Amino acid sequence: MASLRDIRKHISSVKSIKQITYAMKMVAAARIKKAQNSILASRPFARQMDRLIADLARELGEDDLAGTLACDLFRERPAGGTLGLLLVTADKGLCGSFNTNLLKAAAAWLRENRGRKVRVVVVGRKGRDFLKRLKGLDLQVELELVGIFPKVSYAHAQLLADQLAGIYADRSVESVTLIYNEFKSMMVQRVVTDRLLPLQAHILGEGGKGAPASDFSFEPGKKELLTALLPRHLGAQLYRTLLESQAAELAARMSAMESASKNASDLIEGLTLKMNKTRQAMITTELNEIVSGAEALGG
Amino acid sequence: MENRQLLLTVVTPEKTVLADKPVDFAVVPAVGGELGVLPGHAPEVVQLKEGMLRYSSGKEKEVFSVLSGFAEICADRVLVLAEAAELAKEIDEERARQALRKAKDAIAVKGEQVDIDEAQAALKRAAVRLKIAEFKQRHRP
Repeated sequence: MASLRDIRKHISSVKSIKQITYAMKMVAAARIKKAQNSILASRPFARQMDRLIADLARELGEDDLAGTLACDLFRERPAGGTLGLLLVTADKGLCGSFNTNLLKAAAAWLRENRGRKVRVVVVGRKGRDFLKRLKGLDLQVELELVGIFPKVSYAHAQLLADQLAGIYADRSVESVTLIYNEFKSMMVQRVVTDRLLPLQAHILGEGGKGAPASDFSFEPGKKELLTALLPRHLGAQLYRTLLESQAAELAARMSAMESASKNASDLIEGLTLKMNKTRQAMITTELNEIVSGAEALGG
Repeated sequence: MENRQLLLTVVTPEKTVLADKPVDFAVVPAVGGELGVLPGHAPEVVQLKEGMLRYSSGKEKEVFSVLSGFAEICADRVLVLAEAAELAKEIDEERARQALRKAKDAIAVKGEQVDIDEAQAALKRAAVRLKIAEFKQRHRP
């Protein structure tokens, strides 16, 4: 049976762990508010951008589009050949199954596309380390962004977008896939595996209302404008992805740390009970000894 | 003439800088040179380069720095989508100068760990900020 001192030691170590997990939970809770606000703040830009693209696309007929870079970003490419992958993970652990689920999804995706050359862009230390451990795959890491959380800025997203567009400009790349954690709610994160490039055509289709098309004049030209707009659209989309992933990470950490704190409390309770029982047992034994000793003396 | 005004909106990915601000006159830095916009301007979509965005509303005058983006002018509304926008008042000239020097150094060194793209972007940003700071001094009342 553990001695009283051992149990006390155990209790104090669990207590200090609880303090740490609780502090981490509070930090995550404070940051998540900010992360959610930046998601909200990024929406007007993305919305206006989409509208502008839709307006422009309506202006341009199929013929105008042909041969431009813009068209290239939309057209399906023949199957086979190289694949692109963007994996967005966290930099740090201690956030429950956040990274595990992501890496599982990434591993599944890689298994599906076994034998093909994959060019990867990775965000977050966990993802980078995961890719380093992989062996026997034809992987080529193009860019790794480590340590950008929790201060994601648009510049990071633009950097990613440029890199991905560069990869995609290579004719042999069939498509670029994106794997990240979506922020559904404070309790739920969902791993999303999505196709990033070629762009889905529907962003062109949903035209908003607005002035009759013919009224607009364009500077420089429509084609040039659309060509300049689309990479920015990609940037805005990636920015949203990064923000979502950031918020999801914080939410995951918050709930993980909350349950860790709760477990620590339960553990402390159990240990305290055990300690009290041990102490009581010791007192009883001591009393027994005194009484029996007195009896032996007194006859 | 009736008092018509433009509604100026400036949004960046990180925040909405101005939302439907009524102004008399706005100047946006289009790729082909600065473009002044008065109420009743013809609908137009322009690409912007890094530069100064100015507007005046009555006595009030403000200058923004913007980094490449787009502007849409339609029915007395001006919508500016920029990658970054900053109020001139918030720009610290000394800091901008330091940033400029740092970015130049980073590009000159071209070390392994230096992110050239990032440094180029920083250089552009700093240059715009400095330009605005100088503009501010010239136009100080």
